Amino acid sequence: MIKSVENIVIVGGGTAGWLAAGVIAARHQGRIQRGTFSVTLIESPNVPIIGVGEGTWPTLRTTLEKMGVSETDLFRHCDAAFKQGARFARWTTGAEDDGYYHPLMLPQGFTQINLVPHWLEDEQGRSFCDVVTPQGALCDEGLAPKMITTPEYQAVANYAYHLDAGKFAPFIQKHCTMKLGVRHVLADVQSANRAENGDITSLTTQQAGEIAGDLFVDCTGFRSLLLGKAMGVGFKDCNDVLFCDTAMAMQVPYETPESPMASHTISTAHSAGWTWDIGLPTRRGIGYVYSSRHISDEAAEAELRRYIGPAANGLTPRKIPIRAGHRETFWKNNCVAVGLAAGFLEPLESSAIVLVELSAKLIAEQMPANRGVMDIVAARFNDVNHYRWGRIIDFLKLHYVLTKRREKFWRDNTDPASVPDRLKNLLHLWKYQPPWFFDEFDRIEEVFPAASYQYVLYGMGFKTEVMPGDNNGSRATATSYMSENLAMTRKLRAQLPKNRDLVKKIHEYGLQAI
Amino acid sequence: MANIAILNNTLHRSVRVQAGASARYGDNQRFVPVIIGEFPHLAAHYPILLTKDQNTGAFFAGAVLGFDENENLFLNERGMETYRPLNLQRGPFYTAGNEVAIDLDSPRIDSSGKPLFTEAGEPTQYLQSIMALFRDLKPGLEMTKSFVETLSSLKLIEPIDIDLAFDDGSKRKLTGLYTVNQEALRILPDATIIDLFRKGYLQLIYLMIASLKQVPVLAHRKNNALLKSSALLAGR
Repeated sequence: MIKSVENIVIVGGGTAGWLAAGVIAARHQGRIQRGTFSVTLIESPNVPIIGVGEGTWPTLRTTLEKMGVSETDLFRHCDAAFKQGARFARWTTGAEDDGYYHPLMLPQGFTQINLVPHWLEDEQGRSFCDVVTPQGALCDEGLAPKMITTPEYQAVANYAYHLDAGKFAPFIQKHCTMKLGVRHVLADVQSANRAENGDITSLTTQQAGEIAGDLFVDCTGFRSLLLGKAMGVGFKDCNDVLFCDTAMAMQVPYETPESPMASHTISTAHSAGWTWDIGLPTRRGIGYVYSSRHISDEAAEAELRRYIGPAANGLTPRKIPIRAGHRETFWKNNCVAVGLAAGFLEPLESSAIVLVELSAKLIAEQMPANRGVMDIVAARFNDVNHYRWGRIIDFLKLHYVLTKRREKFWRDNTDPASVPDRLKNLLHLWKYQPPWFFDEFDRIEEVFPAASYQYVLYGMGFKTEVMPGDNNGSRATATSYMSENLAMTRKLRAQLPKNRDLVKKIHEYGLQAI
Repeated sequence: MANIAILNNTLHRSVRVQAGASARYGDNQRFVPVIIGEFPHLAAHYPILLTKDQNTGAFFAGAVLGFDENENLFLNERGMETYRPLNLQRGPFYTAGNEVAIDLDSPRIDSSGKPLFTEAGEPTQYLQSIMALFRDLKPGLEMTKSFVETLSSLKLIEPIDIDLAFDDGSKRKLTGLYTVNQEALRILPDATIIDLFRKGYLQLIYLMIASLKQVPVLAHRKNNALLKSSALLAGR
């Protein structure tokens, strides 16, 4: 008889482990309650958790809602705030006023019409973002993306969260163990016991004996204990494309508890990398991601302190090494990696947590019924993940290749030898036609859709040729979407509260479920 | 701007108040907050629905009296012929702790109105009726809050969209209103239903459901008003 897949064992108690546990347990709740399926999470009592990124994607709203988590609780327990995208400052020319938004709302009428050529033909002295979406203006004014009367997880303007990753993992843990029936085992994994075909049959732990399972999910972080160490799957570096290899982070207090809180991530380019600046209700998380081949730690720290100003006095930065890249394969035999164990890229577009969600969802939705069909699902999973990592690397690189900055780090980044072929081809194509639906972003769950490319390309001054007369047929439609956008911008600016004010209200009154 | 003072039989001995229902005095409200004690009176005339407090997002109960801003379809020159909700009856009065307070800037303060105190400084029958009203209204607000919170925690609240088309060709769309989710009510566990019954909540729930029948009645009233005004415009 072919062995059915009933017992899932997750190793690692960080964000990836608990999110994966929650997504899988929520999807298979019916079987868990019947006692025919189990999710066990093994967490080392000794390994410290690396809180990956404090920026998330709007997908997290659906992920948490499906798990049955209350959004009000998320705000109250994870120091969460709203995120409506990112502003990239000084990436193009380095000038003081150089900057653009990558918002989370799609351009108006995106499914009906590509507004890019219309904007290119007549910019009206306005940025692409402002012509096609209200979200840049909302960010400029520090407004929240919804109101206190908007139900949990629903948006007026699309949004994600900034949150304290150190609080997020224990928060999800509590939900998983109290509500979703996830077994939590505190133990150190010593070795993986293997069958003849290479499958993992069980894990030997120091404190909890042997733990058997049918599918093992490796969420052990950079160490990749199961997929990397036990299964011997190699790591594919991508530092030939993305040069940053170090991050230096600080937690910076606000001037006063009432200081405005940005509702977007502020990403500012510096001489050899960039800083993230993420506003949580209680503090700002700020970090410099840089290439140690281009700048010394001392000089980087000085640049970071210059960016923060006097608020950095007396604070000590935490240095975090970054190894850009991913596993050569993600699911081997009955072992699959999620989170840092699968790979890591600089947090320029907050791709870490969204990748965890997407992987966990794919595992949960495609949960192989038995060992006999597992390899088919694994092959599919690997195919999708190779595609995703490749596209994310392309998209991150896109932010660098269009720069006109002159520092060596930036010039090296524009060296064609460092640009993946696929991206090179697309950039060539996009000189003559702007990206839209018919570009090859064709996956159901595309991490960065064509709209994201539009925001970055045209935010950075990329030029696409528009043939005279080409817009004539769709001009009326385009004009109507653009004026709709103006009206919507006016309306939302008048009606939305300040980001900090809404977060405070959520702490005080909570959001309604409907 | 309100100018609210604790009522005092010396300072306010000569104050007189217009008590009747009139648009001039603020009875022209399309949605009036209500308490559960009023539900039996309300359900006979008005839809009892929930909406969200703009400041806190919390649900509260109210009676729908009209569709447009400042429209109370039950108000005419003679006042309100149907049950007048306590929140309208209370006029310019408020409570502050155990005291009755009054908004001295209210348009209801008028020398041709009803006196509050006798010559001897005793509360008049009118003021006594206001004091009695607050004895209902004040605890009623808390009880109503508990009732609504119970509906919310049992996930018994659902949005209701009211789309109306009138004979003069105009349309109205009411949003931000909520009612009881009857399907969610039907599948509640027996023990919960018994608990709701013992608290008196089940009856309130059914009054809310029954009051939905007042939506078309209200629409009919509105339709007549519209036709009357368009007939006037046409000079007929």
